[in-house]
Amino acid sequence: MNTDVTTNDFEGSQNVEMVRTEQLVKRFGDNIVLNGIDFHVKRGQAVVVIGPSGSGKTTLLRCLNHLEKIDDGRIYIDGQLVGYREEKGRLVEDSEANIARLRSQIGFVFQRFNLFAHKTALENIIEAPIHVLRQPKDQVVERARVLLDKVGLADKEDAYPHRLSGGQQQRVAIARALAMNPKLMLFDEATSALDPELVGEVLKVMRQLAEEGMTMVAVTHEMGFARDVADHVVFMDKAQIVEQGPPEQIFGECENERTRNFLSRVL
Amino acid sequence: MFRWDQVWYYLFQDPNLYFLQAAWITLWISVVAQAIGIVLGFILALMRTSKYVFLVWPARAYLWFFRGSPLLVQVLLLWAGLPKIFPNALLPAWACILVAFSLNEGAYMSEIIRAALGSVDPGQMEAAKALGMRNNLAMRRIVIPQAMRVIIPPLGNEFNNMLKTTSIATVIGVEELTGTARDFGSQNFTIFELLIVATIYYLVLTTIWEFVQRWIENRFDPDRANVAIAAAQEKSTMKRLTGLGAQTAR
Repeated sequence: MNTDVTTNDFEGSQNVEMVRTEQLVKRFGDNIVLNGIDFHVKRGQAVVVIGPSGSGKTTLLRCLNHLEKIDDGRIYIDGQLVGYREEKGRLVEDSEANIARLRSQIGFVFQRFNLFAHKTALENIIEAPIHVLRQPKDQVVERARVLLDKVGLADKEDAYPHRLSGGQQQRVAIARALAMNPKLMLFDEATSALDPELVGEVLKVMRQLAEEGMTMVAVTHEMGFARDVADHVVFMDKAQIVEQGPPEQIFGECENERTRNFLSRVL
Repeated sequence: MFRWDQVWYYLFQDPNLYFLQAAWITLWISVVAQAIGIVLGFILALMRTSKYVFLVWPARAYLWFFRGSPLLVQVLLLWAGLPKIFPNALLPAWACILVAFSLNEGAYMSEIIRAALGSVDPGQMEAAKALGMRNNLAMRRIVIPQAMRVIIPPLGNEFNNMLKTTSIATVIGVEELTGTARDFGSQNFTIFELLIVATIYYLVLTTIWEFVQRWIENRFDPDRANVAIAAAQEKSTMKRLTGLGAQTAR
């Protein structure tokens, strides 16, 4: 596959840059959801994307692992073009196998958890390492138990999702994503569907991951999390990145009026 | 005069086991036709939900025909019509029945399966894809097992129906339960008695199936703890029905 060619193009920057989008455009019908987004994440960085609903944050995240097709621009993850390959200067959608391989390297955590309803917590975690990465089962199970312990659910391995609280389900979902040994974790409003008292347990796991140096992008409404954990905060509004910078800047003396308006409403 | 002795004879004393053999024919035709119907149903359901028009339309046409004409007519078309078009292709009666029932059942199963696949939360497929699963793997490991839980109750209806509808086979001379009752009964004017024998056999078959279905439903329950609860409930229902062990319950 000629994905190798694109890899070589960015060999120099590959070490530092994990995510790069260039003039990313996404439309739903006539509605433009992402309007020329240039978005960068360095290796080891925790980036938090904030902004009002409908600003395109979630769509941006879903484009990053090709859960959404894009209409224009380029997305590179670790130097690799995402979801497409270049043929004579035009983008052609990549093969299912290549897209699947790329996704297996990116952890995605959904707002609605999406745990496999017919599988226990442990079975949820071991499913993809066994059937996608084809790792030996006993090894995968051992690792899954370590991960369950890490998210504080060592005693829940035999529980089915509907017997778990939302916070517990989301922590299993995070463990499930981590079991693939991803080089990048994407969190799509991971705490928005949770009861307020359950938000903390999920944020704690996310914070721990960031401290361990996991490269991550989190779309969230949790401003406290953004302020304390993020290395870099991106504010989106109306399909564009309006302002970005370190959290002190965004939450301290942001210049942009739209950012200030938004923050004054949510803080 | 109603001859109970005939009912008794064919139920328990017949050395040739005519009705038991007939029940066996009824059973195996039903099982094989249902099994083929399920496989066909899956293929048709996937065709109908495909994004390719050249798969959707043949599936629709198939359903249109097999759900739109009587099963009896389909059987007769195969039995009487096929040899007219292909004089050498003479299917034995049982094969006609099997083919017609399978094709017909495939049409009905496909609607059940399509609905069941549609009932699985799209988030399940999305999560599977996000983990790097390809479409086929995600269908096999994630979507279809969850659809099974929705498929089984209507499948129970279908098979129950199938056991009884096989009586249509009588019209082309397959010696299943109904045909046996009619043939033996018309020989010595005991048709009413023998139809009662056949009815008892049908009831036995459908009752056994009811238990099998419950067992399958429990197997696909995502929470196997429910199996124990269901077993306990079943036991207490039996006790209530029979009035036995009422004191020892709980």
